[in-house]
Amino acid sequence: MTLFNKFTPIVLLLPIALLLLPDQAWALQSHGPPEGIYVHQLAHLFFAAALGYLFWDIGRNAFPGKGWRYLQIFCILMILWNLLAFSGHWLGFHIADSDILRPSGYFSSQIIGPISSIKLIYFSATLDHLLSLPALFFLFMSLRSLYHSSDDKEEKK
Amino acid sequence: MNALPLSLSIVTDMTGSLLIIVFSFLSLRYAWLLTRREPENFLWGFLFYFCLTLAAFAISRAIGHILKHILIFAGNQELWQTLAPFSGGTNTLLMISLAAVTLYYHKGIEGYQAINKKAKSLKEAYDQLETAADQLQEMNLHLEEMVAARTLELSASEKKFRNLFNNSKDMVYFSDAGNQLLTLNSAGFEMLGYPVQGAPALHLLDIFKNETDLDTYYETLLAQGFVEDLEVEFAKADGTGISVLLSATAVYDENHQLSGCDGIVKDLTRIKTMMEQLAASEKMASVGQMAAGVAHEINTPLGVILGYAQLMMDDFSVESEEGENLAIIERQTKACRKIVADLLKFSRQSESAREDISINEILLDVIAVTQHSLNMDHITVHQDFSRELPPVVGDTERLRQVFVNLINNAHHAMERQGSGDLTMISRYDPDSHEVVATVQDSGHGIPEKIRARIFDPFFTTKSVGKGTGLGLSVSYGIIQEHGGRIEVESPVTNKDSGETIPGTAFHIRLPALQVEAASVRE
Repeated sequence: MTLFNKFTPIVLLLPIALLLLPDQAWALQSHGPPEGIYVHQLAHLFFAAALGYLFWDIGRNAFPGKGWRYLQIFCILMILWNLLAFSGHWLGFHIADSDILRPSGYFSSQIIGPISSIKLIYFSATLDHLLSLPALFFLFMSLRSLYHSSDDKEEKK
Repeated sequence: MNALPLSLSIVTDMTGSLLIIVFSFLSLRYAWLLTRREPENFLWGFLFYFCLTLAAFAISRAIGHILKHILIFAGNQELWQTLAPFSGGTNTLLMISLAAVTLYYHKGIEGYQAINKKAKSLKEAYDQLETAADQLQEMNLHLEEMVAARTLELSASEKKFRNLFNNSKDMVYFSDAGNQLLTLNSAGFEMLGYPVQGAPALHLLDIFKNETDLDTYYETLLAQGFVEDLEVEFAKADGTGISVLLSATAVYDENHQLSGCDGIVKDLTRIKTMMEQLAASEKMASVGQMAAGVAHEINTPLGVILGYAQLMMDDFSVESEEGENLAIIERQTKACRKIVADLLKFSRQSESAREDISINEILLDVIAVTQHSLNMDHITVHQDFSRELPPVVGDTERLRQVFVNLINNAHHAMERQGSGDLTMISRYDPDSHEVVATVQDSGHGIPEKIRARIFDPFFTTKSVGKGTGLGLSVSYGIIQEHGGRIEVESPVTNKDSGETIPGTAFHIRLPALQVEAASVRE
């Protein structure tokens, strides 16, 4: 008799015993309000890590051509964007509503002084498109270049 | 700095969001084009899904950000507070998706690389196969060319040797180890007297007249591997013999066992005849020299005897016993002198005239002289003279004497039969450029054993007193002196029918006068 066969009765009887002796199941767990931002922040880190992996893997495989170099630049810029966005979300908790003044409507919003490094980084984070836009530009360049390289290969064939 | 204007952030955010959508879709378009071009390329597939997710993320984020600014700007901050978790949640979801796609990529790339590696190795194998196939095809092509060239060479060689085999005037044969003839050329069939078409299967036993010769041939072949210049006698189809000179080489198989032999056989008949004629000629020359010496030595005492006998005859009357005895001495001495004169003629010691002669005229003269006595013995004379016979140069009297001698001999050969046919033929042989005059009788012929001696001086088959045995010797000498030759054929073979006729034919062959030489002489 194998080990599995020996314990088969116990394995079958255990769920039945648990059903017959209910106490507190803890089947549903409630989540507090900060969980959303935590997940978002973790997603930023996860995304940055994935991009880091992609950057490393492109280098490891030594794919030839400018297209792959552009893709690596995209990875770096997007990693930086993720880190900046992560920082921006995190620092957002340290910016009080009183730190932002709207003298004549939303468009006139400003972070009032004294300007600390937190405020400065937060302000930089609101300009995250200065990183993400070049990143997307390099992604576009990368794919365009890969397409044209493929075009050349096709012609050579 | 007292304040940081967020208006810059709002403008940057809205503009950047829109531009990101534009770039993400441009990227998506190129990724899509790449997948369309190379659908089997995993990398393009990955990039397409990455760009697709990124485009979704860009739209989600841009809508969220722009909506946020618009709603707050419009004073609907509460609505934004309601929508913000959905926007943030979607963005989070899409970011995780992007990360997942990116991380999943490595598994795909591994699979893709494995497939690529396999495909590459398959392609290499295919290339190698293709190269090998090309090489094989090239080799095959060269092989075909080589085979074609070799076949051509072999064909040329075969043709050359086939021609040599077919056109050879000597017999060429191939036999197996059991001495059975496998192949024999047409010259061989002709030599042996078999028809080329429909000849029977021959064994060497059939064509070797003497079995001991075949034993010698086979033993030599086994011992030495070849037979060189073996003089043997072959049996012709009609049973007669033919002297041949045989050379053969053994042929061995791959186990070094005798598998047969190839041989060349040369007909020696002509050479033998020539050798016999040469020997006879030599003999006659020496006999002639001897006869000339003897004639000279005898001629002087004979002259003295005749002179004294004639002187003494003046002293005695013809009717007296002494006179009769002296007359006998004179007659016999003259007979001796005639013999001596004949001997001198045979040895060509006497002078002769030289003129252009028509053989036909000589033959007609001789027939006219001898016809009467021939008719007495019921011998019919047949004439077959060529009308266009070139002249010969010689002594008319002497040549006439030759033909008289030959006709006398023919007459003698036929007189016992009580009848016979004497055929006189003249013809021109353009091959040897000779005039041939034939005297043929239908007598008993010349026995084989004495044929070699008929031209010897004093050799005769006539009874004593009927011939001196110098007729043919003298004729031989005269013809020799004219640069010709005498051939004897007994029995005679009919040239047209090939059958053998009893009797003897003497062929006198004299060199014909060249037409140019004749005109110059004139």
